[in-house]
Amino acid sequence: MSANRTSRGSLATGLAWISPWAVGFVVFLLAPIAMSVYYSLTDYALLDSPVWIGGDNYAELAGDGLFWRALRNTLVFAFFSVIGSTLLSVGLAVLLERPTRGAAVARAAVFLPTLVPVVANCVAWLWLFNPQYGLINSALGAGGVQGPNWLGDSSWALMSLVLMSLWVIGSPMLVVGAALKDVPASLYEAASLDGMTAWGRFRHVTLPMISPALTFNVIMGIIWSLQVLAPPMIMTRGGPDNATLTFSMYIYKTAFEFGRMGYASALAWVQILITLVLACGALALGRRMVYYRAA
Amino acid sequence: MDIPSHHTGLTRRAALGTLAAGAVGAAVWPRTPRSRADIPSGRTVIDYWEKWTGPEGDAVQRVVDRFNAEQSRVWVRRTAVSEIDTKAMVAIGGGDPPDVVGVFSYNVPQYARSGAAMPLGSFGDASTRIDPGIYVPAVRKLLTYRGEFIAGITSLYSLALYYNRAMFKEVGLDPDAPPRTVPELDAAAERLLVRQGTAIARAGLLQNLPLWWPYFWPVMFGGVLYDPEKDRAVFDDAATIAAYEWVASYPKRLGVAASEEFGVAYNRSFHSPQDPFIAGRVAMIVQGPWLANFINHYGPHLDYGVAPIPVTPGIFDDASPHGMLEADVLMIPRGCRHPEEAFEFVRFTQRQDVQEQLAREHTKSSPLVECSKEFFVGHPNKCVGVFDAITRSKNVLILPQTPVWKSYAHLTEGAFDAVWRGEHVPAVCGAVQRRAQEMIDKAARVEGLRRARG
Amino acid sequence: MNQRPNNSRGGMPGGAGRRAGSALILLAALAYLTPLIWMIALSVKPAAQAGSATIALLPRLPEEAPVSKASPGYWAALAAQASANYREVWSGAAADFPTYFRNSLIVGILSVLGMTVSSAVAAYGFSRVRWPGRDAVFVLVLLTLMIPQAVLMSPQFLLFKQLGMIGSLLPLWLPSWFGGAFSIFLLRQFFLSIPNELDEAARIDGCSHLGTFLRVVLPLSKPALAAVALLQAVATWNDFLGPLLFLNREEQYTLSLGLQMYQSQHGGTPWNLVMAASCIVVLPVLGLYVLTRRFFVEGVAGQGLKE
Repeated sequence: MSANRTSRGSLATGLAWISPWAVGFVVFLLAPIAMSVYYSLTDYALLDSPVWIGGDNYAELAGDGLFWRALRNTLVFAFFSVIGSTLLSVGLAVLLERPTRGAAVARAAVFLPTLVPVVANCVAWLWLFNPQYGLINSALGAGGVQGPNWLGDSSWALMSLVLMSLWVIGSPMLVVGAALKDVPASLYEAASLDGMTAWGRFRHVTLPMISPALTFNVIMGIIWSLQVLAPPMIMTRGGPDNATLTFSMYIYKTAFEFGRMGYASALAWVQILITLVLACGALALGRRMVYYRAA
Repeated sequence: MDIPSHHTGLTRRAALGTLAAGAVGAAVWPRTPRSRADIPSGRTVIDYWEKWTGPEGDAVQRVVDRFNAEQSRVWVRRTAVSEIDTKAMVAIGGGDPPDVVGVFSYNVPQYARSGAAMPLGSFGDASTRIDPGIYVPAVRKLLTYRGEFIAGITSLYSLALYYNRAMFKEVGLDPDAPPRTVPELDAAAERLLVRQGTAIARAGLLQNLPLWWPYFWPVMFGGVLYDPEKDRAVFDDAATIAAYEWVASYPKRLGVAASEEFGVAYNRSFHSPQDPFIAGRVAMIVQGPWLANFINHYGPHLDYGVAPIPVTPGIFDDASPHGMLEADVLMIPRGCRHPEEAFEFVRFTQRQDVQEQLAREHTKSSPLVECSKEFFVGHPNKCVGVFDAITRSKNVLILPQTPVWKSYAHLTEGAFDAVWRGEHVPAVCGAVQRRAQEMIDKAARVEGLRRARG
Repeated sequence: MNQRPNNSRGGMPGGAGRRAGSALILLAALAYLTPLIWMIALSVKPAAQAGSATIALLPRLPEEAPVSKASPGYWAALAAQASANYREVWSGAAADFPTYFRNSLIVGILSVLGMTVSSAVAAYGFSRVRWPGRDAVFVLVLLTLMIPQAVLMSPQFLLFKQLGMIGSLLPLWLPSWFGGAFSIFLLRQFFLSIPNELDEAARIDGCSHLGTFLRVVLPLSKPALAAVALLQAVATWNDFLGPLLFLNREEQYTLSLGLQMYQSQHGGTPWNLVMAASCIVVLPVLGLYVLTRRFFVEGVAGQGLKE
């Protein structure tokens, strides 16, 4: 039977079927990426044509304080956002996994913010964070606590964006939820017979079984949080005192505000490398944990 | 995973179908966008992007309306665009620019050097060209880059010291003798300060209110920021360092935490009834002429005065005040659809009567050499004379004319904050100097390469 | 699947534990809904009440309104107040939301169509046609998921500039006609689960690949196709960076961009109006979600499935 199927296909037929993707891949992905390698070796004022300058842009990175600042901000944001959203999504998935109507409604409620357009999301949080009228400080004030000036204070602004990112964890929660469903009930029964505590069951049964889903979430989280752009752009414009100048924000500013496409391309390549290294690191770590448990 | 819903399946499907049909219907239904609805037929439409909204935007719209009414060939359609310099660059770079953009004077060198703007000098014949001689000399320099006349002007501004006369009287200062030098300014600021424990109840002066011009302070000490002759950044000279040492002395005296808290609390309420100067939270503030507009609006009974920015005694000149000019400019992007018609509109806006109309409505001074007597009569900015004197002073500086100014200014933001937190001033200034010069040199090097290539 | 005891997940056993669990669930739901609820609450209040720090869900009505909540006049007054902000945003001169809405619909419909059709075709090629190198190429598809979108913004901008498409809606929907890595992945998983016997039968009946695709695979894959279409609809509706870079004239703005322009021009000060504008952008997506929740959940959860 499989021989039959093989005979039905051929390289040409296969390529014909995947051609929509293949053409798009070459035109919208491969070509722009290849061009950006070239642009990163030029000085390209957006309003002008590129001029070849070799490795100058990459050499400039070392002395560019804003580059280092943006890099640090992004890594800090990614670290807290990925850890926070991973913990929170597992917690919520476990909490909301019971088959009651209330849990189903709550799952829908937690997922809902994922669908809110990012601009509307930012507008809502701008107001929640408003130091005078915002809901957060009003609630804190009712409890007798003087809330900080969230987005206006350079020591709070980045953490405010982390907090906001924890509102959008519907997707990782659903992924963990689906993985939880696939854990065979017999494993829990065996663990209960062994006299394991609830925590022990979670630690030794649930966690190993959902670790592929967690690895996936962490990798997607890293990719997503390293490229966070719209919230700082809409809410803080990178300020105050560059406290929320993220890497993507700096690329955007360099390309479209300062008009330096060449330097922006060099920055983009740094971002690709960092993303690849961190994502592959997470993948390797996740693999090792899975294998370790399986062994 | 789902709430049971068998019995609702059918209505749900009907609802979805209706929604989808409605969406397709709304998408194909012919509809004229509002921006195109009221254009008379037969006119050439030119797109004009401008930054202002609110009452300032209305004032610009009145100029546009006047142009549209005065002739019957061209129709100007104004769009208010936020973060206009970025949007304009993206549109011009993308090859789809509007016909006229209202950007800032610091964009002039950038647009000129990369050929993104069509020089105004290249338009018109003997009878219709715009003569750059109509502008006050400093303004002419702002609108020109390397001898080429690039942009028209919509409004002109320089910063000056607003002071609350009632508060001056309250603490025994003469409201008719505002501080003229930096020591006088410091003494007045100290007298006007009201503390509440360690916090600030009322500030005399705080340089972090507003945070919009962290680069301005060297002007008070004879600093120049940029030397156009040598194409060099000037940020680590004695004057600049003295200026930021002076800035740093304020948080040092008032407390870094207290002054930052005060700044943060009011930096979001400018140009509203809670504006710190209008609401009486600061006695003196360095601001532009537009503040008069907002005072007229939100605090018409405020008893205030305006004086030229105080300077160090060594450079004080009673006859010619110091200051730094910036402007809002009009440029015609290369690649726009109707450059000739765009020029016709720009030329209209540079007429003396139109300039004076706009300047009055924006509570600013006129950028033109010729200035009618009526201009000052009943001008809505009662202190327009101070701004006019700065504009025409031989001591006035213009904003650095280098294509990297925006990046350079961005560096001064970080430097200002570092200085405010008490970092070593010469080190901070030195770092800005190095990075700014690096960018200037790179821009010059690339320009050389480009010229060599032809 | 659900025959396990309720507390098997490690929850505390007993009634007290279950009550604590229910309280936590309620808390979680409230925490995640609050920003949206307050957005909607603020969107119906008059400006004077939006600026104060009071926490109230419904707007206070003018004095002359009938006081009793039982009287129909109260509800009529409330409805009039609630719709006032929406009327101002929708038909006010400050922005042209009807046009933005229409543009969002156009881009949304075209990109949903394109994404669903082209991804289905490609996914068929990756699942039900055998050809040398197929699995290696599929790994390449998955790898493209790792490329940060922000990295592509300047080169793609320059590409569309070369193609002369800046200032039109084309760059916003054209790429979706060439498939998306995630949609292809999702559909491929689904196509692989369709038993081979069905194509065999179709083949014996003389169907070509195209016939099998149209007559066997597509009709059986409606849930997966719906998931792809919905996720694409939401992604397009929410896209902000694309419109920001590619659109120049207000008559082309999509809702996301129109909202951002509206917000930044107002500096956020009439919060009630900005929130009403936000609700206009958010509500269609929420409505779609309520009607089609199952497909969303399957689509999103499907992301994490085995490598």
